Amino acid sequence: MAFPHRPDAPELPDFSMLKRLARDQLIYLLEQLPGKKDLFIEADLMSPLDRIANVSILKHEVDKLYKVEKKPAFSSSEQLCFLVRPRIKNMRYIASLVNADKVAGRTRKYKVIFSPQKFYACEMVLEEEGVYGDVSCDEWAFSLLPLDVDLLSMELPEFFRDYFLEGDQRWINTLAQALHLLSTLYGPFPNCYGIGRCAKMSYELWKRLEEEEDGETKGRRPEIGHIFLLDRDMDFVTALCSQVVYEGLVDDTFRIKCGSVDFGPEVTSSDKSLKVLLNAEDKVFNEIRNEHFSNVFGFLSQKARNLQAQYDRRRGMDIKQMKNFVSQELKGLKQEHRLLSLHIGACESIMKKKTKQDFQELIKTEHALLEGFNIRESTNYIEEHIDRQVSPIESLRLMCLLSITENGLIPKDYRSLKTQYLQSYGPEHLLTFSNLRRAGLLTEQAPGDTLTAVESKVSKLVTDKAAGKITDAFSSLAKRSNFRAISKKLNLIPRVDGEYDLKVPRDMAYVFSGAYVPLSCRIIEQVLERRGWQGLDEVVRLLNCSELAFTDMTKDDKASSESLRLILVVFLGGCTFSEISALRFLGREKGYRFIFLTTAVTNSARLMEAMSEVKA
Amino acid sequence: MDCYTANWNPLGDSAFYRKYELYSMDWDLKEELRDCLVAAAPYGGPIALLRNPWRKEKPASARPVLEIYSASGVPLASLLWKSGPVVSLGWSAEEELLCVQEDGVVLVYGLHGDFRRHFSMGNEVLQNRVLDARIFHTEFGSGVAILTGAHRFTLSANVGDLKLRRMPEVPGLQSAPSCWTALCQDRVAHILLAVGPDLYLLDHAACSAVTPPGLAPGVSSFLQMAVSFTYRHLALFTDTGYIWMGTASLKEKLCEFNCNIRAPPKQMVWCSRPRSKEKAVVVAWERRLMVVGDAPESIQFVLDEDSYLVPELDGVRVFSRSTHEFLHEVPVASEEIFKIASMAPGALLLEAQKEYEKESQKADEYLREIQELGQLPQAVQQCIEAAGHEHWPDMQKSLLRAASFGKCFLDRFPPDSFVRMCQDLRVLNAVRDYHIGIPLTYSQYKQLTIQVLLDRLVLRRLYPLAIQICEYLRLPEVQGVSRILAHWACYKVQQKDVSDEDVARAINQKLGDTPGVSYSDIAARAYGCGRTELAIKLLEYEPRSGEQVPLLLKMKRSKLALSKAIESGDTDLVFTVLLHLKNELNRGDFFMTLRNQPMALSLYRQFCKHQELETLKDLYNQDDNHQELGSFHIRASYAAEERIEGRVAALQTAADAFYKAKNEFAAKATEDQMRLLRLQRRLEDELGGRFLDLSLHDTVTTLILSGQNKRAEQLARDFRIPDKSFPTGSGG
Repeated sequence: MAFPHRPDAPELPDFSMLKRLARDQLIYLLEQLPGKKDLFIEADLMSPLDRIANVSILKHEVDKLYKVEKKPAFSSSEQLCFLVRPRIKNMRYIASLVNADKVAGRTRKYKVIFSPQKFYACEMVLEEEGVYGDVSCDEWAFSLLPLDVDLLSMELPEFFRDYFLEGDQRWINTLAQALHLLSTLYGPFPNCYGIGRCAKMSYELWKRLEEEEDGETKGRRPEIGHIFLLDRDMDFVTALCSQVVYEGLVDDTFRIKCGSVDFGPEVTSSDKSLKVLLNAEDKVFNEIRNEHFSNVFGFLSQKARNLQAQYDRRRGMDIKQMKNFVSQELKGLKQEHRLLSLHIGACESIMKKKTKQDFQELIKTEHALLEGFNIRESTNYIEEHIDRQVSPIESLRLMCLLSITENGLIPKDYRSLKTQYLQSYGPEHLLTFSNLRRAGLLTEQAPGDTLTAVESKVSKLVTDKAAGKITDAFSSLAKRSNFRAISKKLNLIPRVDGEYDLKVPRDMAYVFSGAYVPLSCRIIEQVLERRGWQGLDEVVRLLNCSELAFTDMTKDDKASSESLRLILVVFLGGCTFSEISALRFLGREKGYRFIFLTTAVTNSARLMEAMSEVKA
Repeated sequence: MDCYTANWNPLGDSAFYRKYELYSMDWDLKEELRDCLVAAAPYGGPIALLRNPWRKEKPASARPVLEIYSASGVPLASLLWKSGPVVSLGWSAEEELLCVQEDGVVLVYGLHGDFRRHFSMGNEVLQNRVLDARIFHTEFGSGVAILTGAHRFTLSANVGDLKLRRMPEVPGLQSAPSCWTALCQDRVAHILLAVGPDLYLLDHAACSAVTPPGLAPGVSSFLQMAVSFTYRHLALFTDTGYIWMGTASLKEKLCEFNCNIRAPPKQMVWCSRPRSKEKAVVVAWERRLMVVGDAPESIQFVLDEDSYLVPELDGVRVFSRSTHEFLHEVPVASEEIFKIASMAPGALLLEAQKEYEKESQKADEYLREIQELGQLPQAVQQCIEAAGHEHWPDMQKSLLRAASFGKCFLDRFPPDSFVRMCQDLRVLNAVRDYHIGIPLTYSQYKQLTIQVLLDRLVLRRLYPLAIQICEYLRLPEVQGVSRILAHWACYKVQQKDVSDEDVARAINQKLGDTPGVSYSDIAARAYGCGRTELAIKLLEYEPRSGEQVPLLLKMKRSKLALSKAIESGDTDLVFTVLLHLKNELNRGDFFMTLRNQPMALSLYRQFCKHQELETLKDLYNQDDNHQELGSFHIRASYAAEERIEGRVAALQTAADAFYKAKNEFAAKATEDQMRLLRLQRRLEDELGGRFLDLSLHDTVTTLILSGQNKRAEQLARDFRIPDKSFPTGSGG
């Protein structure tokens, strides 16, 4: 049932080297502070650290481990080491610790290790707090965590808010460094494509880094033939949709954190939670992760029957066969059994939750929004959703989806939805709305915008060129999504003749039950097919990216045909599991292999939370 | 070959010393050497002369002239001495001229007479004046030792990193020591001094009397002492005309000699090769030069003119008004080959090659002789080695030809020693040229290394030769050509008579995109010379915008620096510039600058959000950004303020701002919230329970659940909650 790869599918590069590099560097940095020391780790770094180094390795270098928390820490060690993200609040925490020691007349050694890099602003804060001379600073350039064989994550969820809301560009440098690292390890990328302002800046910075250290990658055989950089704000719609492939659904329901998930008692059917690593090594999960949820249960029960049959084989075995069975197969079967029951438990739990919330109704509304019919009905649904206080994040998500697909809300709805939302969920969301507006996620149609409907009709009548001019005039007004026009142009809503067979998917739309092809994935598909942006001018213009789409191809004879079918897709601002599943599907269809690099794995809830202002 | 060994002088049974001319000097000396302070740098370095007008017997008439010449007598600089009386001159390891003044101030000049800097040897020296001074070389650099009028010593072991050390007092010292020297042992500098018949060693802690072992009796005073180039050996000249030679630790005597001349020598220096067993000192009087070693007889030379001795690593240079000579022990390889009637393999090979050129069959005989003994490899090696020690290219060539000839009869002789020697000799011959005037020997060259030699060429502004050498030796660009070009450019920017454009263009033409050349470094130099405009022009050529920023900041071109920093994409750099700007400009201008740079603005806002909330508010105010100002106060209403009055006040400010921003929706919503807050407060007072900070819906729901339906309906009416969304209390 799980789709097999075509026999000629290229092998993935071995990314475990990244883990080794990071681990060795960390140990080296810790060794730079010889002797016994206590290590304070920022909570956000715990899980990534866990994935590359187990505690026993750290124990070599470290006496006690603490979490960086708000409350003061009582450590008796003479040497304190802090492993933190370069955030100002961490600097204040460290400064307060050091200053407390000073007041108590205590002298210790302090070392701050910034990951993935140090920012001048942090040093500034240390200086302002008067402790700059007391601490030594180091950088742990751990920016790429391989979460799976084809998924690298920078684990920087704040990238999204910092760049797309606050306009803060400091992470771009980190990203360029990470790309530089990849090209030194896995050879140059002969073909580069990208779209979006951040993508373009990162690309330019990265190229400059390569130039400055030229010679290192030259002459190396490229292992990965293509790289595609894509800004998250090119496609908010896909990220805002409810996910229905298994891995995405698990993420939406239980939150996958750093490649693992905590299954609660309702899943494990025991009284304790279980932390489960979700990746290609989990045989059962690997077969269902990319499947539409409606298939998963059937698949799992089939699997259970097979398992039973294999267990049953032991009846009628003689002693020797039995010995063989026990020593060789039983362990595997038991393992599979355990995983199977976990995923069945997860499915049950998902189903229970989803029916309670009228999941079908919700999906129906989403599909209506994507296709652009019954807008009034959908708006009413959203109002009701708000009034019933189903979930602040969910309500917000639906509002944004409505706004983007409709190219902004009509003024009346804009006001009334916001009013109701504030009344229902609290007034502090006034700031949330301000954020959403700035990011272009929730906007009001400007008076001129009502023409969009006309415009799309006009474009059918007049030549493309004339239509182009008309829309150009409008697009200068504000950041607009133009979703409807793009959707038409790229054929994102498949024509359905009868039932969409989710068991045998035809196209990438299967990740949204056949209703919608993810825009981001479609762009990537089209560009790869055309080897560039030729013929996509209209789409690029509708994305407001006329100057921000780029192609850079080097004639490189050294690139093997195998490497040319390996594509690294870089999502700036996060990607969802649905997008990953869709591209994996595309890869199987075309004989490519996709590798994903994302600033963090995201989903609709995470996006909305990043935009929300919550009471402290 | 008969006369080749004519200038060889035997000293004892085993060693020969020879003296040959390096250059005939055609410097036009106005003064006699004896009337001048003289300093000559080792390793074929430059010579500085300063007519000494401060000697008592010759009262000062005019200002003296400081002159600097190359070792071949080519004038490099000449300047009128305008500072105070000079006691001593000396060259540092970096070929900087140190002039020690009577008041303890040391003036530092470059090779071309350019003033570099000055430093003082301390107050004590200033008060007591300088009686005598020595410049000496240690592994850290160059040191200065000073004897003051109070007969105390002060020294600094490294003038690059000046740390003055006052040495302890010598007990009972009433008059100046008859002679003294600085000694360097175990990385510490000491002073050895002679007072009458006694010797004292001063280290930084104590003064101890020392006696040289095996010193002949009857000595009543020491007239001269000399330390070898490597501080290993010491020689003492006594008033009885007796010379004691031993280790500098004064633990061991090497030999002694009695020359029966009681007159104090003008100079005494060691003359020995590294790794040679032979130890000898050269003693100079007014008209006599004597080489003394472990032999009953000495070698004597007559000096026709006033001469000056310069100790070198492997010999002694002797220069006078008309000549510049080198006196050294003949190296083993040369001795083996050229000694009369030598049968050494090298000698035979040289002979064989000569016969071969004469087309004589004797060549074969000689060759056979060497081959029968299996000594051909040694023969070739000897010839190569001896070639290195020859000064005259003709002799180098014939030895190399012999080596090359012998190589033909060897199957596997590694070629690199031959090739390297050819290269080294070419470089050496080039720098020994009269115009360049660096008479390095092969051993000195190896000790100095090619990098230092290149530095010295650069120091003499001999850029083309330096580049040719780099190219000839195929040195990597970064260490070689680029480095020299960068130096050239730094020199070029100092030419004040050339216009900024021309200099910038000339530099760019020569340097282009040569790897390893940093335009920002050159620009920094230009700025150092006060040519800001030129520096900015040069920075334009710098491909890495990040490199431009620090200098631009230094030149107070902060706004340009800001745009360059933004161009570089390095936010840290942007931030650095921002902080600079913040301190440099007044607040208004600073904000205006930010306004034109959105990237910098958002970066600074992010910082302010966490660290300087008030500044953030000012920023919004400045921009008339009422929308953000409103948001700012809203945030304050639930984050900063705790009392209800404060919160309502903050909300009121926010609402006003929203009105100004023409955002009526937000203003109304804020006013609603103010009303709600007041109402919730009243509800809490009247009904108890918790109402504050509930949303409107939750407030209504809570009222209904506690049976306050009337109030709930009133609230819904007041806030115009649409009927359909009126909560029923059951959440559905």
